[in-house]
Formats: sequence, C-alpha cells, structure tokens
Amino acid sequence: MLSLRELQLSFTTAVLDGSNAAISPWIRDEGLSPSARVNIYRNNLHEGFLKALALGFPVIQCLVGEDYFRQLGRLFLTEHPSRAGNLHHIGSPFAGFLRDQFAATPYSYLPDVAELEWAYQECLIAADALPLDPTPLQSVPPERLADLRFDVHPACRLVSSEFPIMRIWRVNQEDRDGTEIIDLRQGADHVLLRRNDDAVELHRLPAAAFTLLRSLSRRATLGDALEIAQAVASDFDLAQTLRHFVELGVFTAVHTT
Amino acid sequence: MGTDSLNPRALSAQARGRAAPAGSQAGIGLRAQHHREILQRRPPVGWLEVHSENYFAQGGPQRDILLDIREHYALSLHGVGLSLGSTDPLDRTHLRELSRLIRDFEPMSVSEHLSWSSAGGRFLNDLLPLPYTEEALAHLVARVRAVQETLTRRILVENVSSYLQFNSSTLTEWDFIAALARESGCGILLDVNNIYVSAMNHGFDPHTYLNAIPRESVQEIHLAGHTVNRVGSREIRIDTHGSQVSEPVWALYRAALRRFGHVPTLIEWDTDIPPLEVLVAEAAKADLVVEACRAVAA
Repeated sequence: MLSLRELQLSFTTAVLDGSNAAISPWIRDEGLSPSARVNIYRNNLHEGFLKALALGFPVIQCLVGEDYFRQLGRLFLTEHPSRAGNLHHIGSPFAGFLRDQFAATPYSYLPDVAELEWAYQECLIAADALPLDPTPLQSVPPERLADLRFDVHPACRLVSSEFPIMRIWRVNQEDRDGTEIIDLRQGADHVLLRRNDDAVELHRLPAAAFTLLRSLSRRATLGDALEIAQAVASDFDLAQTLRHFVELGVFTAVHTT
Repeated sequence: MGTDSLNPRALSAQARGRAAPAGSQAGIGLRAQHHREILQRRPPVGWLEVHSENYFAQGGPQRDILLDIREHYALSLHGVGLSLGSTDPLDRTHLRELSRLIRDFEPMSVSEHLSWSSAGGRFLNDLLPLPYTEEALAHLVARVRAVQETLTRRILVENVSSYLQFNSSTLTEWDFIAALARESGCGILLDVNNIYVSAMNHGFDPHTYLNAIPRESVQEIHLAGHTVNRVGSREIRIDTHGSQVSEPVWALYRAALRRFGHVPTLIEWDTDIPPLEVLVAEAAKADLVVEACRAVAA
C-alpha cells in the first residue's frame, strides 16, 4: 500500500507529466477507467492554469491568438508548474520562458511585452505607501545633493525594451479596435509603471530619465545616478526630471547619508 | 505593522463592518466583476464570501474596494490554496497572508477544503480527493489543529466533489469528515452540491452522507451548479460553479435544513459569472426554501 505521501507524489507526477500508468492501479474503476478519471483532473489543471495565465497576460494572448497562446501555455506549464497555492504567482517566470522560446526570431518583442504585463500585475497588488513630501528636499545644501538616496514607491516598476512595447500594449487594450499598426522599428520604449489610487498608469520616459530612476531604484546616490544618465544624454535636465518623478509619486523617502 | 496601517479604511471597516449575516438571508460568492455594482446597488443578500487568495495583496485597489464593501456586508473568507491535506509542509507564507486578511477584514468565518493540491512543491491548484485512511485522518487532524493554532480561530472544512476514489480508502468520506471535525474541533462547511455530485459519480446515497454528519458541526452550507459530462459510456458530474443550482440539489438542501437547522447558506458561482441579479435571485430562492421548511416544521 502506498503511503499518503507516495500517493500524492505519484498522482502529481501523473497529472503534470502526462503518464497515468503508475497511479492507475491505486484508483477504483467503478465503470470508468482510472486513466480516464486522472484525465479529468489533468484537464482541470490545464484549464485553470491557462485561464490564470491569460488573465495575467491578455496582450500576449491578443498578439499570438488564443489557440497558440494555449499551446504556449501548456508548454510553459510543463517547464514551470505552479509553485504556490495562489495561482497568481505562475506568471512570474513567463517572460523568461518566452525569451528562451523566441530569442533571435522575429517575435523577440514578445518577452518584453510579457515583462511589461507582469510588471503591471505586480504593481496592482504592491503595498500602499505615502508619496514623498518634497518640502525638506529644498533645504538640502547644494554640496550634499550628490549624496542623496531615494526610496522608490513599492507600486512602481521599470521596464525597458528596444521595441515599442508600450505602444504595442496600448493598441491591444480592450477599448481599442485592433486595427492600429505598430512598426517594430519605431524604436525603444522605456516605461515607468506607477499605481495610483485606482489603477496602474504607464509613463513613457526619455532614456536618460529612465536610466536615472533605474540607478536610484538600485540604491545609487543621486550623484552616481546622474553621471550614468548624462552618459545617455549630455543635455539631461536633472531638476525637471526629479520634479516630474515627485509629481508622479515615484519616491516615498529621501536619505541624506 | 505593515504598510497597510496607512490605509484609514482598514480601521473603519473594523469599526463599522457587520459581523453576522442579516436575518435569515443567504449569502453569495463575491467575484471582482461585481465589486462596484455591489457597492452601488447594495443588494439584499445576507453576506458575501470571497476566495481568500484573490486578496493576498500588499495593497492596491482590489483590497481597498473589499474594505469598502466590508463596511456594508458581513464577509467570509474561503480558501482554495492552502493544500490542507498535502504531506508537504504547511505554507507559512500563505498562512501569514491569511492571518493578515483575517486581521483586516474580521470575517464571520474562515474555511478551507478537505483536499490537497500539491506534492513535492509542485501545485496542481485543484481540490484533489484524499484516500480516506486512518493515516490520512491523523494527518488532517494534525494539519487542521496547526492551522487553527496559527490563526487562533476555528476553521470550517468543506467537502469537495470528486471524480475518483482511491482503493486504499478504508473509511467513507462522511465518516472521515465527521471524525475530522470531532478530533480537530473544526467546523464543517457542508457543500450540498458536492455531496450530490460525488454521490452520483460514486454511487452512494447522499442522505447517508448527510445523516452521518454531526448536527452541531455544520456551520455553513454551500450551493452551486454543476455540469453533467459524458466520458466514454459514463456520465460524470463536474463541479463547475457555472450554472444555477439543480433541482436534485435543492431537494438535498431541504433534507440538510431538516437535519442541521437553519445554517448560513451561500450561493457559489465562479465560472461564466452571470449578472449580479441572477446571483441575488438564487440567494432569494434559497431563502424561500428555508421559509418553506420552517413553515412545515411549525
């Protein structure tokens, strides 16, 4: 007799890996073969998984079509089965999976779009926090500005692509009719996602501003971040960029040491 | 304290939210599609039940709107992802999230399923049947106790629909869940549709099931729709929660009311979600069944 543990491991392997032979002897026939019964559970798994994946990646589904999305989803499931009781988490490795699938193909923009969609999902459930009150910033002596470090709001994400992913995302929203055409050679999109009270907003940033914010989000000092941003655009306007970020509520705190 | 203490609505919900269902009215399962409409129309249902995992968020609009809704309705938290019957270790992160929800929403009940969904760290995210053995019973009793200790409250455990039975089972499902309630102190969330579905799939009398359940342990009843599928030459009923409650399930519900008295009843509908008024009408139908049973008793 199998122990409870052995039974559960065997059943899980059968359902995920598609082979019913090892578990079938442990299931009653009752007028329907054990294998057909296991198939019901495998079908439930596939439907639930694909539904959850489609909820997280509606634009990818729109771009590749429902049939191919299901095909991709099934392959994704075999490589990245769910690791948690909360199905929300299954989307985390999807962009990386698509990167492996579509590297060096004409569809290499798909993983970047998936990254944008996952960032969107993360923003939706990230913690609430009060945005930075900028008043104390004005009293920082000029010689100390370079040492400042910023805490970025938990409901912010940064996604950058050599493809126009934000424009692709926009024209594939439900309120669009799907007839707009995006030329992949239109160039890069550097996207800041920020959740406000109700919704996630997408902001397309200039390359230098994006670089600055990415450095700051990795705990670089303002001085170091500025240097990297200026390497991207020599005429980079730091004051205007910071003002914009503060207005968007991108920061929650600033540290002077 | 987490960052959610910044949210003033978390406190007001606790201060003003309703703690118990209104009168004798049935509740309905609340899904995101109906969030705004519930707030605008405030339909006359007894209470609302959500899937706990849908609100495992640090913050954001979904949680906020549920806090708003909580000010007007009693709420129950119904988990689908704890994998209570699994032999993998209990997921402490999952339990922490659940504890946070309980703190913020003060639910009238917290429930999970008599099932498992993972092994070796891989999740099937389904409500999988257990073998009904003494070994499994001892395991479930220990798990339910551990969960109740962590959450510092009693939980309700719900019977699931099943499409297979393991040949190692030495107990019936009804004796198993009755023993679990007795030994762990948990309550039972009796899903009348699931009893009917499993009874048809496995060929037992659903009344035998009802009659084996201790009267005092049933704290909530679920009603839902199911589908009849043909697999080979056999009919298999699948618990889809995607349609109205079937007539035989209403009949079984009447039998359940006679045995367990007036237990809070919930209409579940998770797939092909209909307009809100259809759900409200199903709940009203359950109320009528309760009234009719009372009239007969009186």
